[in-house]
Amino acid sequence: VPVPVLVLSAAPAAWLPALQLLRRGSKAVTRHWKAMHFQRQKLLALTEYVRPRPAVPPRCLPRRAPEGQQEDGYARVLRRQVEQTLRGSRMVAVCQYNSLPEEDVATLRHFLRRHNIHVHFVFNEVVRPVLAQSKYRNLLPLFVCRNILLVSPQAPAREMLRVLKGVPQVNLLGACIDDTILSRQGVENFARLPSLEASQGQTVAALSLLSSQTSSLLQRGPAHLTALLDQHIRRLRDTGAATEPPLGQSTGDH
Amino acid sequence: PAGPGGVAVHRAGLKKWALPPDYSGITIPEKPKLKYMDKVPAVPKVQREPRRLRDIRGPSQVATDFIQGQYGILALGGGYLHWGHFEMIRLTIGRSIDPKSMFAVWRVPAPYKSVTQKSLGHRMGGGKGPVDHFVTAVKSGRLVVEVGGRCEFEEVQPFLACVAQKLPFPAVPVSRESLQEMRREEEEKRLDNQNPWTFERVVASNMLGMRKYLSPYDLRLKGRYWGKFFLKHRV
Repeated sequence: VPVPVLVLSAAPAAWLPALQLLRRGSKAVTRHWKAMHFQRQKLLALTEYVRPRPAVPPRCLPRRAPEGQQEDGYARVLRRQVEQTLRGSRMVAVCQYNSLPEEDVATLRHFLRRHNIHVHFVFNEVVRPVLAQSKYRNLLPLFVCRNILLVSPQAPAREMLRVLKGVPQVNLLGACIDDTILSRQGVENFARLPSLEASQGQTVAALSLLSSQTSSLLQRGPAHLTALLDQHIRRLRDTGAATEPPLGQSTGDH
Repeated sequence: PAGPGGVAVHRAGLKKWALPPDYSGITIPEKPKLKYMDKVPAVPKVQREPRRLRDIRGPSQVATDFIQGQYGILALGGGYLHWGHFEMIRLTIGRSIDPKSMFAVWRVPAPYKSVTQKSLGHRMGGGKGPVDHFVTAVKSGRLVVEVGGRCEFEEVQPFLACVAQKLPFPAVPVSRESLQEMRREEEEKRLDNQNPWTFERVVASNMLGMRKYLSPYDLRLKGRYWGKFFLKHRV
């Protein structure tokens, strides 16, 4: 049995009609949709929901980046791998990669591996933050399209260029060899340089050049004198004049 | 994405794998399937009860939130569920869930309200008819069944939608998140309504003598309910 409850509402006390006659036959709750009084229909039409319409539509405003992007564990692992490879390599070459068939990729990998060059396929979105924090900051503009990294603990530039020349789909963009950023021309020049042993030998030779010349420098005066006197003897012998040769004494003094 | 010169630069990014859902806190009860509901209560009432249609009218105050499960069927209108409906729900859900990893729970009681029916072809009068069957009253906003376990909403939705369609009132399958979202949207709508005239305001202050044409229940129902129907589009 429903108990009449006194309801205290914040709204002001309204004027209620004394008698509410039930004119229509059906009850309040019906199975069918009960026809509404016209006044009620008007009231419902008046009090419908009106959507807020901002002066600038939201699609004209700049879109905010979606928030709540969780740090991907896989991306973290890849980044750590890239950091490790960069740390342990002397040469880092960035090449643009156009699609190759799989066996060609395997062959390229094999030829480069022969010269101890490792091939790494990298994702730009993984590599960019790693590079931005490391010393290879200036290589960032190269990482735009599909790239591969050729890393090596030595710097076999000549072999690398030779292999890459036979693969037109892989283009060298730039490299960082021994903490020096080189462009494509720079790498070619670097390849044309003589090897370390040869250049070391050249340096040693250049440095010891002066010391090797000291003895010949010192002997230059007497050698010049000896030559002059020899020529003098020859001229005298030619003229046939028999002069006492003081040559033996003069050369004996020096 | 456009590159320099307006040419589209195609790039394949890193595939972000979503973690599989975590079902660690979920325990399947001993009887995962829905209990059988009697047609007639164990102690049937002798006295015939009046119709009392107000148990269909208006929003529900009971069973509006989830208890055990994660997904359920929400009633968006009022109505009576009889034994046929109960059997349909029980059998459909029992057929579609895997008792080892999912469970279902009733959120409505067994039929308790007696409904009388006069025999066909007789004129009015002669007293109230005998009790024909028993029903359960369901108001709008009430959950009918709850389903839970190691499953996703997308797996559960098809058969819950199938069941919801067969119920005598409009119903919709919901999950905890979708119900919260529904409530939040409703609240937002109510707050950012640009219309200065609301049903509530007009009725409470009896503007233009509107209460002559409205029921005293409309103070409480605020124009969102009409009889047993729930007007979803009204704010």
